[in-house]
Amino acid sequence: MMLQAVILIVAQAIILLALSPFVVGLIRKVKARLQLRRGASPLQPYTDLAKLFRKQPVISTTTSWIFTATPYILFSSTLLAGLLVPIFTSTIPLNFAGNIIALVYLLALGTFFLILAGLDAGSTFGGMGSSREAIIASLTEPAMIMSIFAIALAAGSTNLSTIVHKTALLDGIMTDPSPHLMALAALFIVALAETGRVPVDNPATHLELTMIHEAMILEYSGRYLALVEWAAGLKLLVFLSLIANIFAPWGIATTLEPAALGVGLATYLVKVSALAVLIGVIESMFAKLRLFRVTDFLGVAFILALLGMIFFYVLRG
Amino acid sequence: MLNLFLMVFAGYAAGLVLPLCFPAKPRVQSLLAHGLAGLASGAGILLGVTGLLAPEPWTSSAQSTVPFLTFSLRLDPLASFFVLTISLAGLAASVFALGYVTEFFGKSSIAAMGSLYNGFLLSMTLVVMADNGFFFLILWELMSLLSYFLVVTDHEKAEVRYAGLFYLIMAHAGTAFIVLAFLVFFQEAGSFAFEMFRHPQQPLSEGMRSLAFLLALVGFGTKAGIVPLHVWLPYAHPAAPSHVSALMSGVMIKTAVYALIRVYFDFLGGEFPWWWGFTVLAIGALSALLGVMYALMEHDLKSLLAYHSVENIGIILLGIGAGMIFQTYGLKEFAALGLLAGLYHTINHAMFKALLFMGAGSLLYATHTRNMEEYGGLLRRMPWTGFFFLIGAVSISALPPTNGFVSEWLVFQSLFLSFHIPSVLLKLMLPVVAAILALTSVLALACFAKAFGISFLALPRSSHARHAREVPFPMKLGMGLLAAICLLLGLLPMIVVPLLDRVGAPFARVAIAEKVVALDGWALAPVNVEFSSLSTPTIALGLAGLALLGLCVVLIFGGLAKARYYKTWGCGINLNPRMEYTATGFVQPIKRVFSTIYQPTVKLETELLEESRYFAKRRRFEFHIEPVFQKYLYDPVVTFFATTADRLRVIQAGSLHLYLTYIFVTLVVLLLLAV
Amino acid sequence: MSPHIGSQLVDLGAALLLLTCFAIVAQRRLSACVDLFALQSVFLAATAALVAFLTGIHHIYAAAALTIIIKAVVIPRILKQVIERLNVTRELVMNINVPAGLLICGGLVMLAFYITQPIIPLGFLLTRDSLAIALAIVLIGFFTMIARKKAVTQVIGFLVMENGLFLGATAAAYGMPLIVELGVFFDVLVGALIIGIYAHRLQDAFDSVDTSKLTILKE
Repeated sequence: MMLQAVILIVAQAIILLALSPFVVGLIRKVKARLQLRRGASPLQPYTDLAKLFRKQPVISTTTSWIFTATPYILFSSTLLAGLLVPIFTSTIPLNFAGNIIALVYLLALGTFFLILAGLDAGSTFGGMGSSREAIIASLTEPAMIMSIFAIALAAGSTNLSTIVHKTALLDGIMTDPSPHLMALAALFIVALAETGRVPVDNPATHLELTMIHEAMILEYSGRYLALVEWAAGLKLLVFLSLIANIFAPWGIATTLEPAALGVGLATYLVKVSALAVLIGVIESMFAKLRLFRVTDFLGVAFILALLGMIFFYVLRG
Repeated sequence: MLNLFLMVFAGYAAGLVLPLCFPAKPRVQSLLAHGLAGLASGAGILLGVTGLLAPEPWTSSAQSTVPFLTFSLRLDPLASFFVLTISLAGLAASVFALGYVTEFFGKSSIAAMGSLYNGFLLSMTLVVMADNGFFFLILWELMSLLSYFLVVTDHEKAEVRYAGLFYLIMAHAGTAFIVLAFLVFFQEAGSFAFEMFRHPQQPLSEGMRSLAFLLALVGFGTKAGIVPLHVWLPYAHPAAPSHVSALMSGVMIKTAVYALIRVYFDFLGGEFPWWWGFTVLAIGALSALLGVMYALMEHDLKSLLAYHSVENIGIILLGIGAGMIFQTYGLKEFAALGLLAGLYHTINHAMFKALLFMGAGSLLYATHTRNMEEYGGLLRRMPWTGFFFLIGAVSISALPPTNGFVSEWLVFQSLFLSFHIPSVLLKLMLPVVAAILALTSVLALACFAKAFGISFLALPRSSHARHAREVPFPMKLGMGLLAAICLLLGLLPMIVVPLLDRVGAPFARVAIAEKVVALDGWALAPVNVEFSSLSTPTIALGLAGLALLGLCVVLIFGGLAKARYYKTWGCGINLNPRMEYTATGFVQPIKRVFSTIYQPTVKLETELLEESRYFAKRRRFEFHIEPVFQKYLYDPVVTFFATTADRLRVIQAGSLHLYLTYIFVTLVVLLLLAV
Repeated sequence: MSPHIGSQLVDLGAALLLLTCFAIVAQRRLSACVDLFALQSVFLAATAALVAFLTGIHHIYAAAALTIIIKAVVIPRILKQVIERLNVTRELVMNINVPAGLLICGGLVMLAFYITQPIIPLGFLLTRDSLAIALAIVLIGFFTMIARKKAVTQVIGFLVMENGLFLGATAAAYGMPLIVELGVFFDVLVGALIIGIYAHRLQDAFDSVDTSKLTILKE
């Protein structure tokens, strides 16, 4: 039993770590194709990471230990958050360790240290990125908690594994589509904002007026940058997995039969790739919003989630 | 138990008297005062733990000659919990003070300060044990007065005197409401004994109960600093010496939480109309949100922390309010959970807020300024202070796996369980409150990222910060103690929860510890393991393990090549502190997004060069936040009293004969009335 | 189709109607607002057609068809023309900003549900849940008229209210008699025309379609 749990955890960690650069590369590829460019291979981020790990890092003399510790904290908190999300099997061993709120706050832990690291080098860019990240994080969190609540209501649980398991088996799940769809839309907007995608932030820019995430990590290089980039990819993958498996868990392995696990893994790959393509399309279609218009966008997410919750009660009532 | 109590009492009493016997020897005075206070609070910790574990409440009583007044004490689990909280913070503060007060040698009277400090701790410890309304009020007043004297330690400064006066007036206005609340109980009980409040001869009518509820909310709310009665708090708490600020913000406002629980759950019993819980919840949400929002705009580190106390009192009230609502609908287990969440946050806040105030005190000690914009780069100069402050900051931002996270998580769970409530209004309201709590906690995160980032990171922003040195050992020890407690409270909830359940169980009439602590103590599961679970030890282990994994990944893929150190790129110019992001700049987007709440006024003056209007000679930027509550709520009241007093001046002619006539007339009237 | 799934679909339609309302509140570009209104009308027609199909009451089909023609085609075209001719593309200043407006509308929805809560269980029709949504749409439409300054968006607010009423009538009583329905459509059309002309007059008089300028008309 114990051994099985360890194997599942290790397998999940490996899948998350191995898949996250691919998702980033896939989005870039889709964007390139939509702009009628050939674009780099989706496997390019792997080579980038390998190269960064080998390079000698340059560290600013103004920084403290916070700066060098942050990549490790970010990496571990994001990966741990990923281990709380069911990806290819609905029964995950770490289910007891934390529910969906723990996941939100684990990601916040990484954000907190990243904000500090942005301030640590003392450059204006880092401070600017940190300041903007702080406001965007503040505005996404209520929407996220609200959409989580709408989901939790339907499944009667806030534990991710339980939610996914019940939804996959359609066991005791409310089947009204509207609250489900609204919460999904809200969570999708939150995911775009939290992972720094268009229209909230642009991961491809290094223009001082617009960058947020890139500004915070501007001073990183070498292995530290590699860890931060990998963690950013992981965070994206965690959100995609959340969306895919909470709202459409069908196909996920509900037992630990090898065949079911295989099917679960295959459907997971398909779902996540589809979502990555969708993000690539969205990034090509929309322009980045002005920073102070982001509030409107995230306000919509909050309202959607709120409506999802209200609808749940009313349609039941 | 009696022995322990006597030790606590004797310790504080000795600390109260002895320093006064050694005039002109500040070092001895400080050692005596704070050493004795430390010993007494050590005994207080034991007293609290024993009281928590005792099967029956311990009581003790002494009659007095004053009617209705008995010096009776009762140590039930609720009182013990608060004695424990006060003593823990008291111990750390006393150790800290041993180093910190050296700053005041030759400036203020250490004897007076130390003696008042002991009296303050003693009055707080006694006030939660008092079992008689009259006695309680005396101690309550004593606590307010002693803390007032401590607040005005630096009485040479005008703003300190103002802060003290403001505090004194608010404290007394609050006490007036408490007196009224107790009189409501007295009316039916015929006695000031709390036992009679609990079981009056005739039960109170519904209207009277609601009156008592409201009076207590206003009276104790003033002390707790709920919005809109919080205005004194950001003035008074920062003005006091830092170890006293730590106690005022950490534990003194908690005595009000104690009193609220005592009055609502104990005196008024378990039956609440739904709007009581609703009111408490609404005030909690408002206090939490506005507290953190005003904190964000503060650049005086101690005022910032004081505003965070408003926020955290709000979070505590969210737990208690949710508990009251569940109680209304007979959902006992959830009520116990809400109460438990509130109590957990109470002790957590006491610990990390005291820690943060001590951190702020250390910065003040090292740099002689409270202005955050003059700090910077302190983590390299004061590594220990910085590390402890970081632990406090992470805890108050409710990040896993710290204690603040555990209690906020419990509050979230109790709000999420609202779907069991039959009332539609409350069903819809509680999740909205949860969203407000989410906003609050992320804003707190932003605020402490600012507080830590601006103060401790990057380059020093002033010569104060450049010449800062690490604080002496006792101060580090005091902070380290609290930091350790913060970590333990986060990592060992399975030990804390059963203790807290002993406090809440008599009021909710159900014990939930067995259900909440699941999986052999590895996880918390309120109240149903299917609904939610949390295991902070696992999260902590996971974080540490995966960070190691990160290190392994680095070793496998590239190795730990030696890094090159070089200055930060500043667009070709050498980086200097003036190019760094300031605290004001950091919160600018937040200020702009929530401008409806802040009502900021911005003033920008530019003086241009004569030669070319494209270059400015100097610029002056000012911005202010509208103090909405002071302007629209307090100023009218103050104006009213001022004008009324002005009108009444006519009877003050200054003539001695006239005054004698007043007295004579009063006497005659009274005699006539007596007949 | 089972009545349960049918009722869920009707709820979904009503929910989409409500969502478009929120989109209108969040949208600053006037032409996009008009498009959203057209989309809302399509959803309304679809919902009405669904009700007609489920209940077999045929005159609702007629109302749905009229909705498509008048509200999804004719009125948007008139409004677009007004926008084009007056050259007002976006609303930069509002009485209440977008996030606050969204929050207020969220509150209005909660209010609507709270008010209709005692009535809903009494209903027996498969569309009863939509009543609350209909009331919410009416309230949001009203709110839009208050929050916005430009005459065009105020018209949209008014039309949204009308959509809400139509949904309410369908929800509460499977639609009004056809003759009443026809009268209402005629009124709406005329109303939209009149307000279109009124916007022109405003433009002529003040060089703007900002209705808050009307306050200077006193004396």
